[in-house]
Amino acid sequence: MAGMDIAVTGLGLVTPGGIGVGPSWAAVCDGRPAAALDPVLANNPVQISCRVPGFDPETLLSARRAHRLDRFVQFALVAAHEAVADAGLDPRTWDGARVGVVLGCADGGPGTVEEQHHVLREQGADRVSPLLLPMQLPNMLAGQTAIEFGATGPNLVVATACASGATAIGTARDLLVLGRCDIVLAGGSEAMITPLVMAGFAQMGALSKRHDDPASASRPFDVDRDGFVAGEGAGILVMERVADARARGAHVHGRIIGYGATADAHHMTSPHPDGTGIEAAVRAALADAGADPDDVQHVNAHGTSTPLNDLSEARMIQRSLRGDPLVTSTKGVTGHLLGAAGAVEAAFAVLSVEHEVIPPVANLVMPDPRIEIKLAQTVTSMPIDLALSNSLGFGGQNTALAIAPA
Amino acid sequence: MLEQLKEILSNKLKVSPEAITPEATREDIELDSLAVVELSLLLKSELDLDISDDDLLEAETVADMVRLMEERSAKV
Repeated sequence: MAGMDIAVTGLGLVTPGGIGVGPSWAAVCDGRPAAALDPVLANNPVQISCRVPGFDPETLLSARRAHRLDRFVQFALVAAHEAVADAGLDPRTWDGARVGVVLGCADGGPGTVEEQHHVLREQGADRVSPLLLPMQLPNMLAGQTAIEFGATGPNLVVATACASGATAIGTARDLLVLGRCDIVLAGGSEAMITPLVMAGFAQMGALSKRHDDPASASRPFDVDRDGFVAGEGAGILVMERVADARARGAHVHGRIIGYGATADAHHMTSPHPDGTGIEAAVRAALADAGADPDDVQHVNAHGTSTPLNDLSEARMIQRSLRGDPLVTSTKGVTGHLLGAAGAVEAAFAVLSVEHEVIPPVANLVMPDPRIEIKLAQTVTSMPIDLALSNSLGFGGQNTALAIAPA
Repeated sequence: MLEQLKEILSNKLKVSPEAITPEATREDIELDSLAVVELSLLLKSELDLDISDDDLLEAETVADMVRLMEERSAKV
């Protein structure tokens, strides 16, 4: 529905760059990589990850509340509190029936599943925690957020693997356009850095094995990239119709002006080599925004640092966005936040249009010579009228969000 | 027994220690049916007491739970 503007009035981030929007944004603008050797993965073939530094759920939430939540929900609640406060909203007084929650994750709570599977094997079925399911089910992300904030409107979790966070924002936009609710807490959260999940990624050959220099392991678009580094965290956006946001005098960080979603229908994990699926999503998002592809000035790319993704995505950008947009991938700093990535990166793109600053691609030393797009090698100041945030998921799911200043 | 129960409730289930008084009800210390199952498992693993979640649900206060624990430990 072209012309329906949706405002982003609140942002909340928990990322490997830090807890909060300020520390996370500073880390990506400084190009400070978070990747390091992870003691939890000491027995894994690949031992590199990007952890959220200093995350203590008992302090950030209450100890009792934290005890009953998987890490992926803990991240989301901390980020959501920041976003709601940033939006200047008070959950004690809002009409909860008009507040929706749409969040995405790839995997729910595998940490809880692995822990309880260990109990099952070592101690027996009658010792398994009654909290196993309420902690690990993916939909608890939205359910617990509703409980935390008294949000009784539409409530769902979407799963499109590494596009989940962006799918959630697009779906939230649709709900607002259709008038199903007035406010949506939208975004994604992920806590998948467990020995089993990371063994699975390693067996796929998807992860960087740069153990001799882990900080430089996530290097999107670089000629020496050899895979992604898994990250963890959450990104939450408070979204409202622009007219409503302006009527209550809210600060608008930026606007989500278009959303496109497609499927490759090609392969269970490999992106389409020509990037036709993501190209169609980009074109759909720009058509939704009523914008010309050649007017895109900035792309926060999916840019995972895998050989396949970065090449096909770069070729797609070069082919379809001929206005020479300045491209970054913040994954050089944060690693790949999987189901949270699309939301965290949409938040970064909103901050880029708001502050007129594009973060650099960390660890981009020598761009892949086959890639001919303009890459941000240093932090760059420039006004941006139209930005894109791309996300692709295993399974061939593609999303693009078109983002404009307030 | 009260001290042992307090320790399990506060250290393992993260109930705030000041809330755990003999008169406190299950609601006061936020023990829903799931937490009661957790408590039953912990009484077994920590103190080797067999008290089912159904039995615990009949105890209205912390003092009632302690009484139940004392009865069961006497039987052993």
